[in-house]
Amino acid sequence: MPPSLKAGKPILTARIPTFPYGKEQDRHTVSYDEYVKTGGYTALRKALSMAPEAVVDEVKKSQLRGRGGAGFPTGLKWTFLPKVAPGPDGKPGDPGQRYLAVNADESEPGTFKDRLLLDFDPHLQLEGIAIACYACRIKTAFIFIRGEYHHQTHITEKAIKEAYANGIFGGKGLLNGAKTATGEPWVVDCYVHRGAGAYICGEETGLLEALEGKRGWPRIKPPFPAVKGLFGKPTIINNVETLCHVPSIIEHGADWFSKQGCDSTVGGPPSWGTKLMGVSGHVNRPGVYECDLGIKLSTLVNDYCGGMRGGKKFKGAIAGGVSMGILGPDQFDAEMDFDIGRKYNVMGLGTACPTIFDEDTDMVAVARNIARFFKHESCGQCTPCREGSGWLYQLMCRIEEGQGKTKDLDLALEIATSMGIMPGTTICGLADGNNWALRTIMNKYRDEFEKRVKPSFIPVKMTIGAGAKG
Amino acid sequence: MAWITKQSGTMRIARREEPYFTPAMKREMTSKVLPRYETRLACTMPGLHLIQHEYGWVPAQAMEELAEFLGVSPAEVLDCASFYEEYWLKPKGKHLIGVCRSIACEFCGQPEVTEAIKAKLAIDVGETTEDGRFTLIELECLGACGGGPAMLVDETLHENVKPGVVGAILDSVKDDGHH
Ligand SMILES: Cc1cc2nc3c(=O)[nH]c(=O)nc-3n(C[C@H](O)[C@H](O)[C@H](O)COP(=O)(O)O)c2cc1C
Ligand code: SF4
Ligand code: FES
Repeated sequence: MPPSLKAGKPILTARIPTFPYGKEQDRHTVSYDEYVKTGGYTALRKALSMAPEAVVDEVKKSQLRGRGGAGFPTGLKWTFLPKVAPGPDGKPGDPGQRYLAVNADESEPGTFKDRLLLDFDPHLQLEGIAIACYACRIKTAFIFIRGEYHHQTHITEKAIKEAYANGIFGGKGLLNGAKTATGEPWVVDCYVHRGAGAYICGEETGLLEALEGKRGWPRIKPPFPAVKGLFGKPTIINNVETLCHVPSIIEHGADWFSKQGCDSTVGGPPSWGTKLMGVSGHVNRPGVYECDLGIKLSTLVNDYCGGMRGGKKFKGAIAGGVSMGILGPDQFDAEMDFDIGRKYNVMGLGTACPTIFDEDTDMVAVARNIARFFKHESCGQCTPCREGSGWLYQLMCRIEEGQGKTKDLDLALEIATSMGIMPGTTICGLADGNNWALRTIMNKYRDEFEKRVKPSFIPVKMTIGAGAKG
Repeated sequence: MAWITKQSGTMRIARREEPYFTPAMKREMTSKVLPRYETRLACTMPGLHLIQHEYGWVPAQAMEELAEFLGVSPAEVLDCASFYEEYWLKPKGKHLIGVCRSIACEFCGQPEVTEAIKAKLAIDVGETTEDGRFTLIELECLGACGGGPAMLVDETLHENVKPGVVGAILDSVKDDGHH
């Protein structure tokens, strides 16, 4: 049996039957009426009775960290918005136009957790959006949903319609123009913007470019979006799951939140709260489960997913989306918290959606698959990423086909290491993902790669960049 | 590949009398889309989606018409349209089959699924059947990894697809309705 949640009951999946608290076949899309009947929008009411800064403070105190991949503290991000000077009459000043962009692009291979929230409990994210907009003095929210999420777009649009009809958004102001702690109602509009098949639009500034009707080319930072974002206005970008945490934090308080999840094991900021973990690959029951942060990967696989498929041995796991790199055969007990990167030599927890590989998996093929992904999705602005991703894919294909040389391994490692924001050669983190994924696979399964390459002088034909196949 | 613009420099535009970007579409844009955004350029993606949804692809003439409607240059619309893979700048089959080839799906049996579809339709990945009914492509992660192999047939997601059921799935596709 899986360990019970520290909160005693599911939070994000309170209305989405999920093992071990409910049965998948009982799932249905929660309507506005059902959402309200089960306690929905009470957190919004509470938030409106608090000063906006107090809401931001509560989220800051909870040390909620972004669930979109980077784990950046949400409350802190919100404080980066320009301060609003009070009006001449002492009333709250006008912040002008500022935006919330909700990241529902979910395209990181292996990641399918936001979809669960979008499919079944659409009002949870809308409540989170309403609270965030009130707290951050934002008037307009765009939910950026990836183009392939057709069903999820319909559900979200329907939920927004219900929310408008019931006075949550638009009109007189949040909650039918309820008077807020500032003395005035706060009017928020909320729209869906559909993507069109580009992973790079998940990167927050690529997303903003797409919202502006341009190619999704990430922007050079600074300026950061909180200062100069969508249409040049202050903008907050948050992941769907992050926003879904906000209502319960407001309802129960930061102290309650800090009792879930885990403290840092390496002296860093804590990993509090629960997290949706989507497990795929060679397990008996793949799926999305809500767990306390800090749960061991082996517990996740054995107690939630019914163990390895066919009783095979664990060989490795993509930590949380391919960009994060791989957990090796001896890291099955890794704790799934935000410290995972420092402890186990991966980039980080990422989306906390591991893909599990059994003993029969060809790790060279895994590396080739991932290299192809990055080559395909590089937006092409930065030379190290555009060219490097093409080279890496070529090298991986060559090694997989048994045509590689020992030198190719070193070359691949050298190329990988040279690309990314962290080495300082690119605009966005896509290249870091490529780097970490390939470097950790090559290092942790070095013997497997060495077996495939030969120390020979076979002439090599190679096309890079635009002409490369795949 | 996002960073390679589709060929356009020497493009000859096939034209027709009747506009692609219809008055009804303009009305929809004016009432629903334009008020949401600060700039008209920002309405490019919603406009392209409308066109793609109606015709199954985005003809060059339609891009020109959209540009004129938005008051932006045709190059700006083409720049946007050519970046995003979901917009087809050439006609495709009536139904689009997109098989996920990313990490979870490939290692849970996707290659056999692609082979089964290729055999059933007698086309390769990237091709359209002779009768113009199906186009087969491979896509990156569809966000359905726990149900891999996953594939999209038009707007419908199929999970845990086995080579043996591919035939039945394709046979059940109906030709009425939209692309
Ligand atoms: C290449 C790349 C792709 C990304 N894709 C996504 C994505 O699909 N969904 C997401 O929420 N965040 C994605 N991110 C992270 C976002 O840039 C951003 O950090 C996040 O949306 C912030 O929200 P959070 O603080 O609530 O996590 C991506 C980042 C990079 C560099
Ligand atoms: S790192 Fe790659 S994806 Fe990111 S901006 Fe540069 S070229 Fe584009
Ligand atoms: S890897 Fe195929 S749907 Fe995610």
